[in-house]
Amino acid sequence: MFGGLREKLQAARDRLGSSIQGVIVTQASPVQETHKGGSSPSTASIKTISPAAPTFVDKVKILIIDRELVVSEKDLSDALSEFEMTLLESDVALKVSDAIIARVRTSLVGKHRKIGASVDALVVGALKRALLDVLGNGFDLVTYIQTHNRPVKILFTGVNGTGKTTTVAKIGAYLKKQGYTVVIGAGDTYRAGAIEQIGVHAERIGIKIIQHQEGADPSAVIFDAVQYAVSHKIDVVLADTAGRFHTKSNLMNQLEKIRRVMKPDLVVYVDEAVAGNDAIVRAAEFDRTVGADAVILTKADMDSRGGAAISIAHTIGKPLMFLGTGQGYDDIMTFDPVQVVEELMGSDA
Amino acid sequence: MLDTLSTSLKDALKKLAGKTVIDRAAVDELVKDLQRALISSDVNVKLVMELSKAIRTRSLDEQLPRGTNVREHVLRIVYQELVRLVWASTDVKLEPQTILMAGLQGSGKTTTTAKLARYFQKKGMKVGVLCADTFRPGAYDQISTLCAKINVPCFGNPQEKDALKLTREGLESLKGLELVIVDTQGRHALEADLIREIIEINVIARATHRWLVVDAALGQQASEQARRFHEAIDIDGVIITKMDGTAKGGGALSAVAETKSGIVFIGSGETIEDLERFDPDGFISRLLGMGDLKALLERAGEAIKADDVDVNAMMKGKFTLRDMYKQLEALNKMGPLKQIMGMLPLGKMELPDGVYDVTSTKMVRYRIIMDSMTAGELDDPSLINSSRLQRIARGAGSTPDEVRELIKYYKMMQRTLKGLRGGGGGKFNMQRLMKRFSGMQ
Repeated sequence: MFGGLREKLQAARDRLGSSIQGVIVTQASPVQETHKGGSSPSTASIKTISPAAPTFVDKVKILIIDRELVVSEKDLSDALSEFEMTLLESDVALKVSDAIIARVRTSLVGKHRKIGASVDALVVGALKRALLDVLGNGFDLVTYIQTHNRPVKILFTGVNGTGKTTTVAKIGAYLKKQGYTVVIGAGDTYRAGAIEQIGVHAERIGIKIIQHQEGADPSAVIFDAVQYAVSHKIDVVLADTAGRFHTKSNLMNQLEKIRRVMKPDLVVYVDEAVAGNDAIVRAAEFDRTVGADAVILTKADMDSRGGAAISIAHTIGKPLMFLGTGQGYDDIMTFDPVQVVEELMGSDA
Repeated sequence: MLDTLSTSLKDALKKLAGKTVIDRAAVDELVKDLQRALISSDVNVKLVMELSKAIRTRSLDEQLPRGTNVREHVLRIVYQELVRLVWASTDVKLEPQTILMAGLQGSGKTTTTAKLARYFQKKGMKVGVLCADTFRPGAYDQISTLCAKINVPCFGNPQEKDALKLTREGLESLKGLELVIVDTQGRHALEADLIREIIEINVIARATHRWLVVDAALGQQASEQARRFHEAIDIDGVIITKMDGTAKGGGALSAVAETKSGIVFIGSGETIEDLERFDPDGFISRLLGMGDLKALLERAGEAIKADDVDVNAMMKGKFTLRDMYKQLEALNKMGPLKQIMGMLPLGKMELPDGVYDVTSTKMVRYRIIMDSMTAGELDDPSLINSSRLQRIARGAGSTPDEVRELIKYYKMMQRTLKGLRGGGGGKFNMQRLMKRFSGMQ
């Protein structure tokens, strides 16, 4: 999923690295001369961009005493705008990429750097930290289930067409393979054919499903599913819901009611990895109205650059649990941020 | 995307107001604002860069036409470049044809298929639907339920696994009909088998049109996916779905640019009627704050008799309770108020949020209250004093507070519509400006 982003990030990283390298070459010699000759420092002090940046005297001091260089904002601006383009082209929302760029900038500007130290390490370190900060920790569902009272109730939410029903089936199959018993509540009573869809899935993977008729109250269906799980000592309840837009207040109220009735242990927000800027708007709105404890991104196999993962994680600060990567029941993978970032940036630094 | 774009465009254009010479810095700023607006609407980054470069060079290099000021000049260039981006309008002819639907998983093909069937049915055509989705469980149930609701024959067989065979059989069975819509399973460009399948379905169906269904939220992937679909089956139209959320639909623009086709329809709701024809002129004038009166009238014409709502009288500020009553009556058929207001020429008017804040249950209450008013009161609401107010409330079985609320709502609507008319008396009259444009092209 992150293949495209990786290539681009590495290109940007080279660019950023070389730009700082260039600074050292051009900056180092005049600064040293200035000191030896004792002439006016005015020419070099132009490099001081922001008022908070170190003064020329500081720079010289640092250079002479510590053998270090100071990175200024101007040195970075070209390379960072390149990096920003990369993020935008990878579907990271504009607001989020602004925030990440700002973070990388503040962590690099004014930084002291040993003359001999590798520039690459500095840049990659900053990018890595920024991305890791954003992506947070992963979410291990199996551990969660082990450490919580049965039945563990999981509610799936999201807008239309992101793949909630398919994801519920995949997670059902995944948990069954891990040795847990599962029941599915067919809470999408609105869309024509939805009950049939999840019914066929449940039958194929051999999981009990609780369903009512089309148009029934989804809260009732899910309540029944929970009751069934309690009386049959089932480990996990997976509640599918109808897709809804965050702008429809009546549907969001319905979801709120489902949450009240079901009292889920986990609310999982499902969105697609190919979504663009809107991903942050709707994730924030869902998080605000019904909450979200973890995120699943579907359709990650569509050669997407993973920007939505970064956008959503940055906006609502909730961990990513799984990635959906295809149409089969096994096409699901757990999300490990450290591994992803290592893969993106290369593990050499 | 319309809102953000038109606001930021207007802000940027303000900076050019009153200038007689092109100001490089102001143009740069305008271009930068435009870039940000387009990128946050999910338009492909490369496309945005090309567009903004063209606007920048043309703004700076082209001679200022005699008699225009800088703002009009730059706005005209923005307008022309945007029209170029939206590409041509695709003609939808009411003649015998076969339409093949293609798109990514979950983009809304099946729902759109039913909406299209309904659209052509309303235009008086004999329509049939062929369900060639052999993969997703429940797909046939979904489309056949939707078709049954509107009495459109639907061919499909959930047991059949061969989409090609199904297509052949379906075409045979739906032969007598004028228009056949072929719904296919969702697929993405990297699934080589499925791409091969849709190529073959296209050959068998001999489709007149091959329309790509694009989710309004689709991001930068749109270009690449559209390109591959275009390579496979020569896409000649794009349908944007889910425009009722907050997504801006910029991905669809990238898809249009990639396939050199046009946007045919826009889907904006969950019911079967929520489909709108796309018209690039209307799109751009909406973008520039002119409003899309044509689409509004087309819609109104279908939903109600022409004399029920007199848009022109409304625009002149002659808006009585009676008009509001008719409007509320028509609203059910026409769709949510916000959508309708979106088509009105709002100019730089900001609508108070309260205008939209009337739920359908409230609408019903309002109509009952108005039923208790006299003809005189409906024509001239200022007649309503406290004793009349008591009477109305008693007659409608509501509280005086509710009646007051209704009158407050009416006043807000009236003010809003009045404000629309003259653009608030500002110096910048869009209507005049657009007239000038059409003269210049």
